[in-house]
Amino acid sequence: MRFPSGRCSNNIRVMKLFWISISIMVILSTLPLSVLADPAQEFKVTIRSKRTALSEVFSEIRRQTGFVVFYSNDLFNDKEKISVNFIEAGLDEVMRNLLRGRPLGYKIAENFIIIIKAIDKKKESKASIVSPAPRVTSIDTIPDKQLKGKVTGKEEDAPLGQVSVENLSDHKGVFTNGKGEFVINAQPGDSIRFSYVGKAPRVIIFKGQSFLSVELNNEEERVLSEVIVTGFQNIDKNKFAGAAAHLKADEIKLQGVADVSRMLEGRAAGVSIQNVSGTFGTAPKIRVRGATSINGDNKPLWVVDGVVLEDIVNISNDQLSSGDPTTLLGSAVAGLNANDIESFDILKDASATALYGARAMNGVVVITTKRGKAGRFSVNYTGNYSTQFKPVYNDYNIMNSAEQMSMLAELERKGILSPNVLDRPNNGVYGKMYDLMNAVDGSFPLENTQESRKAFLTRYAMANTDWFDVLFRNNFVQEHSISISTGTEKSQSYFSTSYYGDNGWTIADRVKRYTLNYRNNYKFNDRLSSGFATVGSVRQQRAPGALARNSNPVEGKFDRDFDINPFSYALNTSRTITPYDKNGNLEYFRRNFAPFNIISELDNNYLDLNLIDLRLQGDVSYKIFKDLKYEFVGAIRYVKSSREHIITEHANMAEAYRAAGTATIKRNNKFLYRDPDDPEAQPVVVLPYGGFYNRTEDMLQNYDFRNSLTYTKVLRDKHNINILAGQQVKYADRQRFSNTGYGYQYDNGGTPFVDYRILKQTIENNFPYYGMSRDYDRFVAFYASGNYTYDLKYNLTGTIRYDGSNRLGQSKKARWLPTWSVAGSWNVEQEAFMQNVPWTDYLTVRASYGLTASMGPATNSSIVLKNINTRRPYLTEVESVINLANLENSDLTWEKLYTTNLGLDAGFFKRRLTMSLDVYQRRSFDLISLIKTSGIGGETPKAANYADMESKGLELLVGGEVIKQKNWGWKVNCTFGYNTTRITNARNNPLIFDLVVAEGGNRQGYPVRSLFSLNYKGLDHRTGKPTFADQTGKVSSDVYLQDDNINYLVHEGPVDPTITGGFSNTFTYKSFSLNIFLTYQAGNRIRLYPAFQTNYSDLDAMPREFLDRWIMPGDEKYTDVPSILDAFTQAQLGGAYPYNNYNYSTQRVAKGDFIRLKTVSLTYNLQSGWFKKAGVNNLLLTAAATNPWLIYADDKLKGQDPEFFNSGGVAQPIQKQVTLSLKVGI
Amino acid sequence: MKKYSIYFLVILLSVGCKKFLEQPPDNRAVLNTPEKVSQLLGTAYPQANYMAFTESISDNVADKGIGGLYRTNIDPYNFKDVSSNQQDSPEFYWNACYAAIAAANQALEVCSKASNPESYAAQKGEALVCRAYAHFMLVTFFSKVFDPATAGSDPGIPYVLKPEKVVFEQYERKTVQYVYEMIEKDLTEGLPLIDDKQYKVPRYHFTRAAAHAFASRFYLFKRQYAKVVEHASKVFPNDNVIAMLRPWNTEYRVLTYNELWARYAKATESANLLLVETPSLWARNYVGVRYGLDATKSNEILLAPNVSGGTWIFRYQLYTGGTNNYFIPKVNEYFVRESVNAEIGWPYVMVPLFTAEEVMFNRAEANVFLNNITNVLGDLNAYASTRIYNYSPALHTITESRIKSFYRTGNAQQGALAAVLDFKRAEFVQEGMRWFDLLRHKVPVVHATVEGPTFTLGANDPMRVFQIPDVAKLAGIAQNPR
Repeated sequence: MRFPSGRCSNNIRVMKLFWISISIMVILSTLPLSVLADPAQEFKVTIRSKRTALSEVFSEIRRQTGFVVFYSNDLFNDKEKISVNFIEAGLDEVMRNLLRGRPLGYKIAENFIIIIKAIDKKKESKASIVSPAPRVTSIDTIPDKQLKGKVTGKEEDAPLGQVSVENLSDHKGVFTNGKGEFVINAQPGDSIRFSYVGKAPRVIIFKGQSFLSVELNNEEERVLSEVIVTGFQNIDKNKFAGAAAHLKADEIKLQGVADVSRMLEGRAAGVSIQNVSGTFGTAPKIRVRGATSINGDNKPLWVVDGVVLEDIVNISNDQLSSGDPTTLLGSAVAGLNANDIESFDILKDASATALYGARAMNGVVVITTKRGKAGRFSVNYTGNYSTQFKPVYNDYNIMNSAEQMSMLAELERKGILSPNVLDRPNNGVYGKMYDLMNAVDGSFPLENTQESRKAFLTRYAMANTDWFDVLFRNNFVQEHSISISTGTEKSQSYFSTSYYGDNGWTIADRVKRYTLNYRNNYKFNDRLSSGFATVGSVRQQRAPGALARNSNPVEGKFDRDFDINPFSYALNTSRTITPYDKNGNLEYFRRNFAPFNIISELDNNYLDLNLIDLRLQGDVSYKIFKDLKYEFVGAIRYVKSSREHIITEHANMAEAYRAAGTATIKRNNKFLYRDPDDPEAQPVVVLPYGGFYNRTEDMLQNYDFRNSLTYTKVLRDKHNINILAGQQVKYADRQRFSNTGYGYQYDNGGTPFVDYRILKQTIENNFPYYGMSRDYDRFVAFYASGNYTYDLKYNLTGTIRYDGSNRLGQSKKARWLPTWSVAGSWNVEQEAFMQNVPWTDYLTVRASYGLTASMGPATNSSIVLKNINTRRPYLTEVESVINLANLENSDLTWEKLYTTNLGLDAGFFKRRLTMSLDVYQRRSFDLISLIKTSGIGGETPKAANYADMESKGLELLVGGEVIKQKNWGWKVNCTFGYNTTRITNARNNPLIFDLVVAEGGNRQGYPVRSLFSLNYKGLDHRTGKPTFADQTGKVSSDVYLQDDNINYLVHEGPVDPTITGGFSNTFTYKSFSLNIFLTYQAGNRIRLYPAFQTNYSDLDAMPREFLDRWIMPGDEKYTDVPSILDAFTQAQLGGAYPYNNYNYSTQRVAKGDFIRLKTVSLTYNLQSGWFKKAGVNNLLLTAAATNPWLIYADDKLKGQDPEFFNSGGVAQPIQKQVTLSLKVGI
Repeated sequence: MKKYSIYFLVILLSVGCKKFLEQPPDNRAVLNTPEKVSQLLGTAYPQANYMAFTESISDNVADKGIGGLYRTNIDPYNFKDVSSNQQDSPEFYWNACYAAIAAANQALEVCSKASNPESYAAQKGEALVCRAYAHFMLVTFFSKVFDPATAGSDPGIPYVLKPEKVVFEQYERKTVQYVYEMIEKDLTEGLPLIDDKQYKVPRYHFTRAAAHAFASRFYLFKRQYAKVVEHASKVFPNDNVIAMLRPWNTEYRVLTYNELWARYAKATESANLLLVETPSLWARNYVGVRYGLDATKSNEILLAPNVSGGTWIFRYQLYTGGTNNYFIPKVNEYFVRESVNAEIGWPYVMVPLFTAEEVMFNRAEANVFLNNITNVLGDLNAYASTRIYNYSPALHTITESRIKSFYRTGNAQQGALAAVLDFKRAEFVQEGMRWFDLLRHKVPVVHATVEGPTFTLGANDPMRVFQIPDVAKLAGIAQNPR
């Protein structure tokens, strides 16, 4: 239990990855028209006729086999009559007989039989199917025909220049000219491939025609079968039995939003994204299917190209919304360029995540990045230009300066703003007034008369300072990204680089980010291929100088010293305070006994974050036999970040150490030094010169590699077997270093001036002035997975994995954990009975069950001993001792989860209507919780696997193409996720404070992170102060928040939404496309902003609710807004904090339901011959508005963003922004 | 060949794996040297303050009617179980003692498993004495006071001999007799092994002197008076008692209250034989609590005439904080902030666990029972010379007859005991030491209240034994009868 500082004399109540390994499940085509099977043998013909024209024989062949016979009429006369007699003869036999005695040969390809001039007699007799290779020798003998043609783009409805046209027989190629025309040498029967960036490649068999018109379609429309990328394997969706969502980056991209994790909001059913802070680098709160753990992390695992992206620093659930400077490193994906991303796969159930085993409990998000493609050279530029809007007071419920001044007058009448305020560390207008009336130098700049006081206050009453205008700006955010993609059959490369620059929404922040991605793939021969990637990013960011916050359960609030977060400053600072004086100079008010002006402070107190993140990745794939492949994937990553907290000598934070003007200030200023050996001495200044240079460094060194074998076999066409086995090793070392530099003189050549006593003060207060800690993560795993598919109808998958980790501590017993999963699916549409239902494209029923796990928040499978410095007042008495931090818990194990998932996927009407439904039940067990024990072993609350929880949920995704016409289109996509959790067993012992805070608390029988409130019981008749059911159930205004009697609290609901989803509408008309995307969530409760305080100063901004406050006895019948206490009543509170309690009462809770217009974007695909001539292939213009409108939210929120935790520090709400985006492809 | 290389690879992999995974997850300490074991023993002292509940249950306090309300003060005064498990509560103390025992047991495990146990001798000594001390304090507060007649049947407290390795271990209470035997065993085995030169800050560890001081208290409770005298005498080099007592008559009397606060529990005071840092609110509360030292009680203890005929020097350092709140500035607070600039944090109190004064009083008391009145008088006079204002041997020397007349008794032994206990009461007022005497001598305590009812704690009242925490039931430990 913590307590406030200070001795209380009396009566004071103290409160206290992969190329892709590509285990490309070599999809041996199981299509009926198998290319590999020999059609010449397979198709049997029975023809009996006498003197029939050749043309008629050919027609009969076509009727029986579907093969069309092509020939040029100059080769022979098809009216020639012959007699034939074939019974069940192969095509080869038939053709050889028909052409016998003629100088002709033939070729069978796809569903054509092409009759050509015979190459030479020998060859004809040898084989009639001519493979491309022998053709090379025949070039001299047989002159090639010239094929002329023209290529047009379907969507553009215009000729396409620079289309690669390649004759696959001789591998010679040409490009189309500006009119889309080409001439290429070809023999009838040759395959000609047309490829073009952004278009689906097309192969056409030359049948001897003189002119060929080719139309190329856009790539996207090609997709017939979806592939799920698990990071270990790419699996055809129709063979996949797990629950997963595949999202294409292009479709979900939020223009102008740098962090890719935020793009997932509302896009995949069951994935909840809450933007608890919008600051660059901070992570949103991401939950895949809700929470699985009570005290551990609930964030999903991020995997980029098959390699797990380790966090630079581990940020706990609560820290995410804390606004602490560390949160700037919170987003694992902040260094990724959104334009490099091809797709996201969100793996949700035990089967989908099984290959991640003991790290998969919270779901996996797999990111696949773009790679170079064979035969295509393209350069793409993407530019986003955004501006973000300043917040406005109309959205918030804050008093203007006139209203505020009348409140201050009331405070003055109630004896709160008396000249005594000069003893306080912070004050505003009144403090300034008294200061001027009592000037120390004996002059009295302000006369103590009613008139002069009124005149003085009138200026401030009229000020109506718009802090948002002062501290915010309509910034310019620019993002430029260039990518170059090129490749041949043997090697492909993708290069991209980007710049993101934000000059700052507030005057205190700005960001620059540079990224580099260079990726090469090589195919050495049919067996061996490999790939290498270098990915790097550099970030430079400035943020307001913020310190970590402290929880203060004593008064029931969080404390953050010297908080200068512009957003919370604007919301919390009285509009009577003016940033500039009458002469336009900065105007200072008192804070920590020192002059303070927010503009000046933001200039002199800031954080500079520098981060470099470099990743080298490589893979090798080798086909040992036809069906067996070996793969290696490995990555090395190095991240280094430094955070410099610059506090110049002019910063209030430094000046506060020098404020010792009067004896009162000396006595009350906590930054002065008091020598414990000289208790009678006056406190002294120990920072006579300079400011602070505080530095924090975080470093991550990580490698991860994997060896695997894949065996793929198709037996008798119907039995598809895929077996994968492998091994993985992970290593991650983290280091954190921090240092406080005292007395750095920024103005004076950077010389530090250190008074030894400031170090003495720090050390005597039991704070080291520097620190370093290391964290080691070692991980080894063995895994195997088998998949069997029968006739494309039935799938069965089983996976086992055995993980070993050092995280639990040095214990052999706890180190290893086996996990497993089984899953099955039935592709109903493949059944015979379904062939009569033409409107059903596919219908799959899935089921899976399995065990996954996650590392919990405990490391004591062996004893945890940590050195500490003893807390003793005299330095000579302090010694370094080893503290038994945690006793050995030999039973400690991982947190585990059983998931049952049932799913249904269906597509109807040529995929114009698709849907996917999943229901699941999850049972988490062995969750780690602090539980109370007898204490006899020496540790009372112990971390043990002693909590269980259940969760249930439903996910639905419906997609439809309502209108699909040549010019018109309307696509709808709707996601819905529902999840509830319940802690079924937890022997923790929460205090009232643990449960009433905005982040919620955990209690058996309730959802994870439930919000509880003090039961509000009306206002006190005599004083108007609020009353509640206290810890003993009595009505009282004094509730002891550190009490563990939680029976009188009211359960409000979970803090995490139970319902989340999104609704996307895309309208297309010719080249225009309009996307309207809404997100929604519901079912959670939000703690309102803590607006009420026991004590108000002339600095605080008050919410308008105060206008309805209790003023006189009897008012309690009409209002629930408590009074403003007079000085006497305040003194009578005796250590109670009724107003802080009010902030935690049933009165101060709102529903978290909201519907938000997330984006509106209009895209114009500019197609004009003019651009083509200029060499521009495509040009896309997009105008988008992000977060423009919060359509619905609880009225009680009164402007407070339902997602944002206004916690100060470096936290900012998500911004409203407009973006103009330009995409050019050459 | 190929086959062998595969075998080789498998072996290499599995060995490599094991080493790879043996890396601890953080830079935690590993107990592999005697120095590190010594460091661990720095936490083998119960970091909890008993002053609040022992003082509040004692006869040193009265109801002021108003004042700070804390369960750790209210409940003991009303002879009720303390319904708090936070700082200054018996439950907090219980947990702190067992935490200290856990550290000691961990150290002992390393000492016994070491390949070179002889280099761990000093550590073993300290650990044994620490384990004995914490168990002694537990049995004193949570079991009936040692009585040779009933000790064999009175339930004791769990005597823990090895580190706990599972979440829910089961324990048993056994008897007070058993606990005393175990304490004596640990103490007598540990004491000779102690090496004062091992300590960096000796006053926060069981030095030989501190261990002897503990032995003197232990044997006093065990009623083995000769041993009390034997151990107590080893605390005072050359039997110079005065040199080790607090210099009240000279230095202390001229200190300001801030200076006295700063000095009282400092390691440089020769009287402080053993100190421990405890998270405690007693420093800020002991002045203003409702049930505390009021005018009446300060008169009774500090201002009333005493057997020496002189005036206690204490009255010159007796302050009032507000109305009726009397205090001597001896319990000081060391406030550890949560972060450099925070207003909240953890209040600490440095508690003198053993002082020269106590040892002297233990010896005097033992001598009373051994009927060495002369020696008793010697100690009392040495003490008086440091505590009586303007001390003059001529005026203030305590003699047998003076005791007899002051206490109106013909029994010198009885009188001498009364004198010892009265002196001790004055010396340790507000430090919670009175309770030990009240326990040992089964003195009834009467507490009047402003509301009317008067509560009496009888000589054999079950409420004399503090209640074992409710959660101990999880370990199979029965609570004390009520």
